[in-house]
Amino acid sequence: MTMDRRTVLGLGGMLAAGVVLAPGMRLIAAPNDRTDASEKHRWAMLIDVNKCNPECTSCTQACRKENNVPLVGDPQRDIHWIRKVELHNKEGYGPDRSLPVMCNHCEHPPCVHVCPTQASFVRKDGIVLVDMHRCIGCRYCMIACPYKARSLVYSKPLVPPDANPRVPIRAKGVVEKCTFCVHRIDDGGEPACVEACRKEGEGGMLFGDLNDPKSEISIRVRQVQTTVIRADLGLKPRVRYQGI
Amino acid sequence: MELFRSLATRMSVVLFLALLLGLGGAFPADLEAGPPVLEKPKGSACVRPGEWMRRNHMDFLKHKRSLTVREGLRVRSESLLKCAECHTSHGRFCDRCHSYVGVAPDCFECHLYPE
Repeated sequence: MTMDRRTVLGLGGMLAAGVVLAPGMRLIAAPNDRTDASEKHRWAMLIDVNKCNPECTSCTQACRKENNVPLVGDPQRDIHWIRKVELHNKEGYGPDRSLPVMCNHCEHPPCVHVCPTQASFVRKDGIVLVDMHRCIGCRYCMIACPYKARSLVYSKPLVPPDANPRVPIRAKGVVEKCTFCVHRIDDGGEPACVEACRKEGEGGMLFGDLNDPKSEISIRVRQVQTTVIRADLGLKPRVRYQGI
Repeated sequence: MELFRSLATRMSVVLFLALLLGLGGAFPADLEAGPPVLEKPKGSACVRPGEWMRRNHMDFLKHKRSLTVREGLRVRSESLLKCAECHTSHGRFCDRCHSYVGVAPDCFECHLYPE
């Protein structure tokens, strides 16, 4: 019998592992309630601008409450994960539009590309996140982002008395942005803004998995004409708009 | 005379020390230096043996923090918020030992520990 190089190495490794584990060590069974991000999902959002009421701020308020985003008050240093933007038609025809803008969770995110510490990264399921443990607050990502989706925490944040303990507050000197409410997604939920829009607003926001052809968002994206902001940059954003 | 004087000094130092030690024994337990007394946890068992946790909880949490943030790994039964279900007080459990050994982990500058 001949063994190829791979088999010999594998057997050697198993033997070494056995020797290391043998003296008094015990392996602890992995808990069965663990999940992790998977490439199987491609989370995306579709916003129907026709349904967005200029007066309504339920999405932005829900975001602040869910993610403990403080109201700074100074427009230069304000922190927003999602904000309402007014669009005016320069040529004078067509109605003015109001729409929420947040991190677009690009497939090719420039913020991740420029991050010097690899604090900004793309998770396996396509969500762009900031690892606050690594962020040094250099703000390259804020310059790189074409959607103005990121904010720097300029001062020590105040902890609201009804803070949501599931989302840590951010220390002074890191850059923060929309996470698509990643803690909710991992528990099978949807972002707080989408939930608020359906319950208190007009229901113009839809969240789902583009990799699942039967999901509502996949069906809608196939049926109606949708667009992304700054498609010319080729970043392939995951937040799509209908009716701009 | 010189010798006696130094001998007397030495004796007084020894006596003083003995007195101090004696007094130390008379103090109530919570003023005494020694291993801190931590609040009894509520639940019956920790996610790992207590002895292991005492030595390794910091590495355990730090390792899992990277996996959770970057890989999306979530172990519901081992989340930081789950710790708070048994160790109900950060001040009477975590801080007591941290201040005794003089470490200042900055985890809880951001992570909210439900009291």
